Amino acid sequence: MTTAWLATLALALSAMLIVVLCQGDPKRLRAAGLRSAAMLPRRRRGLAALACLPGLGCALSGNSAAFMLWLGGCALAGWISATWPRRKSRAGTGAPAMRNAP
Amino acid sequence: MIHLDKDETKAMVAVHGWSGICLGLLLYAVVLTGTAAVFAQEIGAWAAGHLNSQSAFEAPVDARVRRLSEATPAQYRDSLNLFEVGDHGLGAFFHRDALDAKGMPTERGIYYQLDHGGRLTSTVHGTSEEVFGPHNDDALSSFLVDTHVRLHVPNPWGLLLTGVLGLTMLVAAISGLLIHRHLFKDIFTLRRNGSPVLANRDMHSVAGTWSLPFAFVLAFTGSFFSFYGTIGVPVVAMAAFRGDVQALSEAVYGNPRKSDPRPASIGDLDRVTADAVRRTGEAPTFISIEHFGRADAEITSYHQPKSGDLEPVALLYNGATGAFERAKPTVGTRPSAGGTLSGIMGPLHFGNFAGILSKAIWFGLGFAMCYVTYTGMRLWVVRRGQDTRALAWLERTLTVVGFGLPICLLAAAAAFLVTMPLGSAVYWTTGGFLIAAGGVIATGVVTRSNEALTRRLKGAAGLIMIALPLLRLFAAQGPGWSEAIASGRPMTPTIDVGCILMGLWLVRACWNAARLAHRDSTVIGKGVRA
Repeated sequence: MTTAWLATLALALSAMLIVVLCQGDPKRLRAAGLRSAAMLPRRRRGLAALACLPGLGCALSGNSAAFMLWLGGCALAGWISATWPRRKSRAGTGAPAMRNAP
Repeated sequence: MIHLDKDETKAMVAVHGWSGICLGLLLYAVVLTGTAAVFAQEIGAWAAGHLNSQSAFEAPVDARVRRLSEATPAQYRDSLNLFEVGDHGLGAFFHRDALDAKGMPTERGIYYQLDHGGRLTSTVHGTSEEVFGPHNDDALSSFLVDTHVRLHVPNPWGLLLTGVLGLTMLVAAISGLLIHRHLFKDIFTLRRNGSPVLANRDMHSVAGTWSLPFAFVLAFTGSFFSFYGTIGVPVVAMAAFRGDVQALSEAVYGNPRKSDPRPASIGDLDRVTADAVRRTGEAPTFISIEHFGRADAEITSYHQPKSGDLEPVALLYNGATGAFERAKPTVGTRPSAGGTLSGIMGPLHFGNFAGILSKAIWFGLGFAMCYVTYTGMRLWVVRRGQDTRALAWLERTLTVVGFGLPICLLAAAAAFLVTMPLGSAVYWTTGGFLIAAGGVIATGVVTRSNEALTRRLKGAAGLIMIALPLLRLFAAQGPGWSEAIASGRPMTPTIDVGCILMGLWLVRACWNAARLAHRDSTVIGKGVRA
């Protein structure tokens, strides 16, 4: 597998988990007035560990370029997911939805 | 996380804030131009309308080099550097070691520039500093790189300045890490509907936390490059080589070998390049030949890192026979941890180790750094809200630099596209930047409110971005999208589309903000009349 494909695959897996972590982040949800949707700490820790596994795989395979691409890509995925606009809750619960446009 | 007591935290906050506010604007300029310079090669090819996609070293070079060597005076045939230039043309610098007017070591010789077909396009005599200036077709990429590397301040002061800025970034990153008590808890928290201080703090800390590892990497490697030639080499030469920089260079990078000055024809360079491509999977980026035309000649072929690796590759060949000798470490004659660390500095800083993908990610990280720098300075201003009147000039300056610098860079690109066909792009690329800078500063002075200034600058940036692809097509007579794709240059239409989309987004944002401001002023006006 080429470096680009390996890094893209690893990054896609980690980015999905980062988005899930972002959506279930208790402090972010609390700030938006959505307490009920927060994820349990144990589950969050498990997901964070899972998100690191693709990078660990890149490192253990000896592909340092793929590891750096994964690390940089995860940083961008995390930043983008945190700044992505939050849609207003359908249930209309809690405080007015945040407008987190970058 | 690391817990500091109250006084220590206070001190760290002061270090973080003041280091940022004192050098933040210059740091922002260096980081922004560095972000653009990640794609300097692609931007240069896009602007100049380059269409060749085959490396100059994949075409026959041996006959061309022999022809040039015959035309070169014997005194300059000691060494030869070969590299790509322009639209995959070949640059050949025949030279010998010499001292400049200040007694500093340099290289003096003749620089030939050939186009992709092997036709001689220019010949320049002089030292390496004199012959490697910007040219008409690479003025834009040279301008970008030069701004990032030394802010156009003469060396060594420019390099020292950017080195200090790199250290400032390191200090800000370390102090930021120490003062942030809830680094991981706040990693997704953005409260835009909170107070301005809270919103700015969240924007700054979220971007800063996610990009923290790369702030260290980019700041450290950037400082390394700035201080390497200006402080590192002279100090080591002074300490270990009695100030002889040439001897240091020979000991660290040279190829120790028994001297054999007997004349001998150079080996087949086409065979050398073909062998180097076979071994590394990549065409050389640079070829250096020492003792050209002698029996002890040596050819070193430099390459980008192999797939899956970060360290660039250098291969050593026997100059007289063209036979492969060994892979050459970056530093010294044997592989070492220090040599590897030194070797990966470049790819880690430039992000050019895995093609477009690594460049795209490094571009995004550079943008995140710009965002962190800008929001950090804004936070410093917003936190001192009660002193807004006294700090209004600083807020205005932040907007002028934050939004004005991208406009100036875009104006430099527009000036390049208009003047390149006239042959005066070297002068007008810088001229366009300076004219735009004057315009932005004047706008900053005459515009009544900071919000209106932001709107105007965003709108201007958007309009220039939309105009750039049109200027490329019609003023610079650049290739169309189908021609570029057919020639293996997909980055040309990609950059065009990127410019148009970004431009439309900026113009729309400006339009929406203007409408909102107009509505607010109408409501306030009605309220006052009522």
